[in-house]
Amino acid sequence: MEAYPVKGRLVLAAAAVGALAVAGCSSSSSSSTSSSASGSASAATKSCVASVGFEGPITGPVASLGAEQLHFAELAVSMDNAANHTQITLVQGDTQLQPAQATTVTQQFISNSAILAVVGPAGSQEVEAVGGPMGRAGMAFISGSATAVALTTGSYPTFFRVVSKDSVQGPQDANYIVNNLHPKALMIVDDQEAYSTGLVSAMLPIFQAAGIKVDHESVSQKVTDFSSLVAKITPDESVVVLPWQIAANAQQFGRDMAQEHKTAVIFGTDGLFSPGTFTISGSYVSSFGPDITAIPADASIAQAAQAKYGSFGTFGPPVFAATHVIDEAIASVCKAGQTPSRANVLAAIKQTNESTSILGQPISFDSHGDLNGGKFFLFKISSAGKYQLIPS
Amino acid sequence: MSFFFQELVNGITTGALYSLVALGFSMVYGVLKLLNFAHGDLYMVGAYVGFFVIQFFGGAAHVRIPVPLLLAIMFLLAAGLVGGLGVAMERFAYRPLRDAPRIAPLITAIGISFFLESSALLLFGAQFRVYNTAEFISLSSGIQIGSVTIDSVQIMVLVLGLVLMTGLQLLVKRTRLGRQMRAVAADREAAEMLGINVNFVIASTFFLGSALAGIAGVMGGLLFNQVTATIGFIAGLKAFTAAVVGGIGSIPGAMLGGLVIGVAESFVTGYISSTYTNLIVFGLLIVVMLVRPSGLLGQVQLQKV
Amino acid sequence: MSVDSQGPQVGADEWVARQAHRREYLPSWLGRAQRESERIGWWPRLAIAGVAAVILPSLGLGGFQLQVGIDAMVIALLAVGLNIVVGWAGLLDLGYIAFFGFGAYGFALLSSNQLSTTGIHLPAYFSVPIVMIAAALLGLAVGLPSRRLIGDYLAIVTLFFGEAFVEFTNNVAPSKLGGPNGITGIDPIRGFNWQLTSNFGYYYLLVIVLVVTMAVLRLVENSRTGRAWRAVREDSLAAASMTIPVNRVKLAAFSAGAVVAALAGTIYAAQQASVFPTDFDTPILILIYAGLILGGTGSIAGACLGALVVMIIFDGLLRSATEAGYLFYGLILLTLLAKLRPWRRLAGVLAATVALGFAAHAIAQAISASAVAGGPQSGGWIDDALRDWVIVPANAQTAGNWGYVVLICLLIALVQVSSRWRTILLPPTLCLASFVWETTLVTQPSVTRQIMIGAILIVMMNARPQGLLGKRRVEVPT
Repeated sequence: MEAYPVKGRLVLAAAAVGALAVAGCSSSSSSSTSSSASGSASAATKSCVASVGFEGPITGPVASLGAEQLHFAELAVSMDNAANHTQITLVQGDTQLQPAQATTVTQQFISNSAILAVVGPAGSQEVEAVGGPMGRAGMAFISGSATAVALTTGSYPTFFRVVSKDSVQGPQDANYIVNNLHPKALMIVDDQEAYSTGLVSAMLPIFQAAGIKVDHESVSQKVTDFSSLVAKITPDESVVVLPWQIAANAQQFGRDMAQEHKTAVIFGTDGLFSPGTFTISGSYVSSFGPDITAIPADASIAQAAQAKYGSFGTFGPPVFAATHVIDEAIASVCKAGQTPSRANVLAAIKQTNESTSILGQPISFDSHGDLNGGKFFLFKISSAGKYQLIPS
Repeated sequence: MSFFFQELVNGITTGALYSLVALGFSMVYGVLKLLNFAHGDLYMVGAYVGFFVIQFFGGAAHVRIPVPLLLAIMFLLAAGLVGGLGVAMERFAYRPLRDAPRIAPLITAIGISFFLESSALLLFGAQFRVYNTAEFISLSSGIQIGSVTIDSVQIMVLVLGLVLMTGLQLLVKRTRLGRQMRAVAADREAAEMLGINVNFVIASTFFLGSALAGIAGVMGGLLFNQVTATIGFIAGLKAFTAAVVGGIGSIPGAMLGGLVIGVAESFVTGYISSTYTNLIVFGLLIVVMLVRPSGLLGQVQLQKV
Repeated sequence: MSVDSQGPQVGADEWVARQAHRREYLPSWLGRAQRESERIGWWPRLAIAGVAAVILPSLGLGGFQLQVGIDAMVIALLAVGLNIVVGWAGLLDLGYIAFFGFGAYGFALLSSNQLSTTGIHLPAYFSVPIVMIAAALLGLAVGLPSRRLIGDYLAIVTLFFGEAFVEFTNNVAPSKLGGPNGITGIDPIRGFNWQLTSNFGYYYLLVIVLVVTMAVLRLVENSRTGRAWRAVREDSLAAASMTIPVNRVKLAAFSAGAVVAALAGTIYAAQQASVFPTDFDTPILILIYAGLILGGTGSIAGACLGALVVMIIFDGLLRSATEAGYLFYGLILLTLLAKLRPWRRLAGVLAATVALGFAAHAIAQAISASAVAGGPQSGGWIDDALRDWVIVPANAQTAGNWGYVVLICLLIALVQVSSRWRTILLPPTLCLASFVWETTLVTQPSVTRQIMIGAILIVMMNARPQGLLGKRRVEVPT
């Protein structure tokens, strides 16, 4: 800095020290939160002020799912704030579906004393990674998409979920295929993620017991070209099972099938439920969430979501439900005159008993955190690309 | 037997796509000895450009202009915009590092890759954008030989790819610019002393390579339909692999490398199992590299004393 | 070790040598600090850094900062190991992350119930050395192609190996290796009747391991093997003619790097108590490389420092919108301070920016109330400071997106134009930058995190290509 005179250097040094001091003071005080509500959030009224954390794969390989989950969580917070006159803010943390990052984000949330409960994480492995620290911090966390069976065997006392487990979905779908579609042979392709392989291992024994010849393939989620795999479908294989997370990939698979004149029927699970993206007529989709556009009570939510964020699939509504449970728990604690804390919010969540919800069913949790009475919904896609619910 | 040919057609088509991306990568490497990790993201930008052109003209189902015109606009616009982006990248990020140790531009390229990918995520959102090619190019408009179907999009990819590759080879071998490119690739300082405008040559190389990546992006969108911010990473990886396996710096090598990878993937998926496709293809490529250390068509590197 | 202390030298231009010597250090006062600290000596500096790291938690680090510190030190250990292969031996290894994964999975298999119902539960003083030795052998195997492959061809083969590792652990033998579900329930580091279960414990363990590793590597750096590596990196033919066994030296580099990576892997697996294939994918490798190159390849302290800086920024600071805001505005101000040389020019630009901001805000408010209805979103005192200065419309998203594109074009233009135009264009660019930050970037912190780390990498490499503590090298083109 030879070009600066001595006085200039002193002034700059003082400014630098001053800036550091201010930054240091601000960050060492109560931990940072990010505001998603415009206007002044520093009103010192007696209203219900709290923060809710959101953990999801906002960037990374399944960013489309994480973004949808985040949008629905934000929607739930804004709608509940308006309805309950609370001041809840949503703090987002990006895990990229990686358990190591989920641990870091969880530590960040635990250190932030304003955060009273967490929505997420999305993946079952992430839940296993963060379950311990969350339990030790006494922080409730509700997942809208973690379906592994092992999560609710009692190891994670603060874990809840608003969707059913793999052990229900896999056999239910497999039995439907065996009893209603009667294939002689089928191809089942997993996408090399834990969610998919879990379902496949639940379904395979049922297919084998029914004497169906199974071709078990596996492609990574990053693959976008399925023409070589589609060419492998034999005329005998009348059903192709795709328990995938990304609907766009399945749509491409269906297109490749049409182009190579394969007539098999696609049977997909949750990820394929995406009325805007997956529209191969004649396909079946089994989903842990209902089609909220078909539920009259959800019309306002569906319209708001459509207007603000465009088309959505099945991963958003359960996260809405989870966030709503937390919002209601916080509101009930405030109404009882207490200051919301992690302990009383956890207790309130355990007592959750909603007679109806966005999922079209009542929400309450059993002692291990599972949703009571969780259902799966089976849809068939008509020739116009519309999803029609098959009554069970 | 028809299964064999079907897999072969699929493999050659995807291989042609990989080759196009690998070409641009190889060109840039040949001239600058730079591993441009951001090359795959240029492919992604090209795919987005093509998508927005379709949307501009009414969306896939109701295209307002004839399809060949639409395709021409998509390709030209993608080539132009992505080429310009490549030139800007070079000017802004790589030129100051021309004399730095070779490993420094690597990190800049990685930084650019992060930047491009997350900018796309910011500007365009995380949801998949779908070309819906089947809406404006009917699925049944291909040719059918026996029970082997070749889609018209696949034919277009093959033809266009071939044309571009021949064009590029002609450009490098026969035109003055090509001669200058080869001179700069051989020895930059000597080329400068001979009066070649090195900055212009390097900028043209980047433009051409990036334009090829952009065109490949549009083709990828037409073939595979879905576009999102993360498709660049895999494309870049395949390009890098194809360029190196074919002999880095060599244009026919990049073409051959891409085809080899595409066909290998296709056959392994078809005949063995898709679960082990990547593993087996990697193993094959390692064997190829060990047998021919400078790639299939690369020049054997002489070590100067 | 300054040139002056060596006395007059025959054939050396003193002034040129002094300038070149000074250029190796960071500019201005940072370089002077560096030169002064070099007077102390390398070992005392390591001791001071180690002691400082040990004292740091007691100054009030919370759980999150400890976790960031642990993540950062694991990456620092990996960068120090990668430095052996890339920095010292000059072999571009793009599959290094596979050794890390190998170490983690090895430890996991030996310390959990994965392999059988009761599983193998070796104490750490058995499992860690076993894993390290196995990694050394694996490093030898992976290094074998380096005999025939040079440069970027070696890079691609190692890249294959890295990708193959992830594919292998994800798809092959899921019952033994866990598949995409990974291996969970891994024992903590234990032995001799103690075990490490808290983050504090792992933090201190990592500090000790990092210091010891750096010390060992310093000894190796000045040994015959270290000198042989540097010779092979510079000119392997000349090295061979000086009787250095080039192939064996290259294999030794791979092996040593693998051992360090495996050590990092075992500690990682124990701290996370679970391992998954996606933990060892390419994005982590990119972070390690970023840290290594930013810190300066070839320098142990540089590798460690660079990795710590990258991880603390990326994993720590940028995860919170407010702190990202501090970093954003702070970096802009620092760049201005460093680059705008005449005192008056800097003051002028800052004054013009402030004035322009207020003026634009007032005009926008006069035109339409909704144009300024939103408020700055950064949080903290920045919000209050900027409320009347930056324009944030009610419906920020589209405006912010367009602003972003315009900002990028402006930045590229700024680099090309002459100095006078640059001064004129700076105030609007700064206002626009703040506008874009407050409207879109800060409302999507997860995406902004990636954008910022990309921008920081680009800018830092352009500013100082040899890295923070690296030495400028001239590469002889072959």
